[in-house]
Amino acid sequence: MTTVETVGGEWIRRDGDNVTLTITRCHACDARWFPPRDVCSHCASTDVHDEPTGDRGVVYASTVVRAGPAAYRPPYVLSYVDIDGVRVLAHGGTGEAFAPGTPVRLGIGEIGRTDAGPLMSYVITAEDGAR
Amino acid sequence: MRPVYVAGAAVHPFGKHPGIKAADLGYAAVRDLLARTGITPEQVDAGFGGSTYGGSLLAQRVLQRVGVSGQPVYTVENACASGAAAVHLGWQLVATGQADCVVAFGADNLTGFGGGTLPLTTGDIEIEQGMVMPAAYAMRAQRYLHDFGAAPEALSAVSVKNRRNGAANPRAHFQGEVSPADVAGSRPIADPLRLLHCCPNSDGGAAVLLCSAEIAAQLPTPAVRIRASAVRSGRFHTGYRDMTWPEITARTAKAAYAMAGLAPSDVDIVELHDAFAIAELLHAEALGLADRGQAHKAIVAGEFDRDGRVAVSPSGGLLSRGHPVGATGATQICEAYWQLTGQAGDLQVPGAEVALTHVTGGGIFGVDNGACAVHILTTD
Repeated sequence: MTTVETVGGEWIRRDGDNVTLTITRCHACDARWFPPRDVCSHCASTDVHDEPTGDRGVVYASTVVRAGPAAYRPPYVLSYVDIDGVRVLAHGGTGEAFAPGTPVRLGIGEIGRTDAGPLMSYVITAEDGAR
Repeated sequence: MRPVYVAGAAVHPFGKHPGIKAADLGYAAVRDLLARTGITPEQVDAGFGGSTYGGSLLAQRVLQRVGVSGQPVYTVENACASGAAAVHLGWQLVATGQADCVVAFGADNLTGFGGGTLPLTTGDIEIEQGMVMPAAYAMRAQRYLHDFGAAPEALSAVSVKNRRNGAANPRAHFQGEVSPADVAGSRPIADPLRLLHCCPNSDGGAAVLLCSAEIAAQLPTPAVRIRASAVRSGRFHTGYRDMTWPEITARTAKAAYAMAGLAPSDVDIVELHDAFAIAELLHAEALGLADRGQAHKAIVAGEFDRDGRVAVSPSGGLLSRGHPVGATGATQICEAYWQLTGQAGDLQVPGAEVALTHVTGGGIFGVDNGACAVHILTTD
């Protein structure tokens, strides 16, 4: 039997094939945060609430990591993805980096593997027709 | 505030020294510093030691071996900016009249980690997803090339220049030149960065003596003045920041230029934080050495060469000199000191009168960097 560890799993929302993330919005200054928090890290207001993102984003930048921790099994693609006011790091894609501006969709997948089993997290895939 | 001087500098050569602990590297530099300046332990009012991986109480463990024991001593951790932060704190004490003579040093030993990418230990969400420093810089590089139409060859030009400079530096980790073909043919690390676009994990130590005008006048060693010493932290947010513009560098540099009453065009030599080749382009722009989006043209045109418009990393920079993280900020001050006092040997930039050093620390989640330090030094 293997244990599945999910990185950031407490912030992942899944509804069928639809995957979104939980972010925090500050009502005092409109800042948005990921991972969520109970105090705004801009204005320190506690007038904040959690809300879901959409399930689609746009790649800001991307790379293929060819030297990195063995648990993530290099080479792996890392990208910064802009989603509804937050920028998140995500695995996804194969072989080469996404071009900046690539539209992507959130999903859940394996990002690595340790002795304890697979390491799961939110991942991205290019939307149809995009690369 | 009163003027503060650097009146001595010493470096334990950078490189792979697996048998020498961080404290021993720092000790070698501090011992050499006291020998060069003739400063006695009783004259030292305070000590600051910067280190990231050297362990608890590194500054005490180093300074007590040379008789600096009982005075206020602090070990400073600000990631790659640790050594520069130690210098900044020493500068504060002398500038405000609380001390006349301070030893500031930095030391780290990274061979203890084996090889590969530097382990990141802060346990944030990105590190849990496999983020490593080359990946962070690689994404900045991809976006810079995309936004400004730069060619990857501009990245290689940084490596070629800094390896050429470092080839003449007896304190550098790498003392050999590389060609553009060498860089292009080196092992890929994180696209578009290759091995020769990355600084090595090194071991080393560096120390400087900070003092008042009165002390400086008594010493056999020449002195240079610290015109500005500025440290800032990163502004945290998880929104859409522009990763081609290290605003922490721009903000820290602006404070330093204002303190010094100098402009980027006044600067003769710069030692900046070229942990990866792209970093030189980003920081050169944020320091005002090139217009926004134009540093890739400046590097290819030779404007940052030792005999160019402004000498950027005449010591070889992190790419050649190496990057024992806590020691880097302190060794930059040493290199600037030797340049401004005409003691830089084969590295000497003729007539250098104004030097700027810049180091950033820590690519932690949510900020460009956790810390940034900028110092401006002048011959008078």
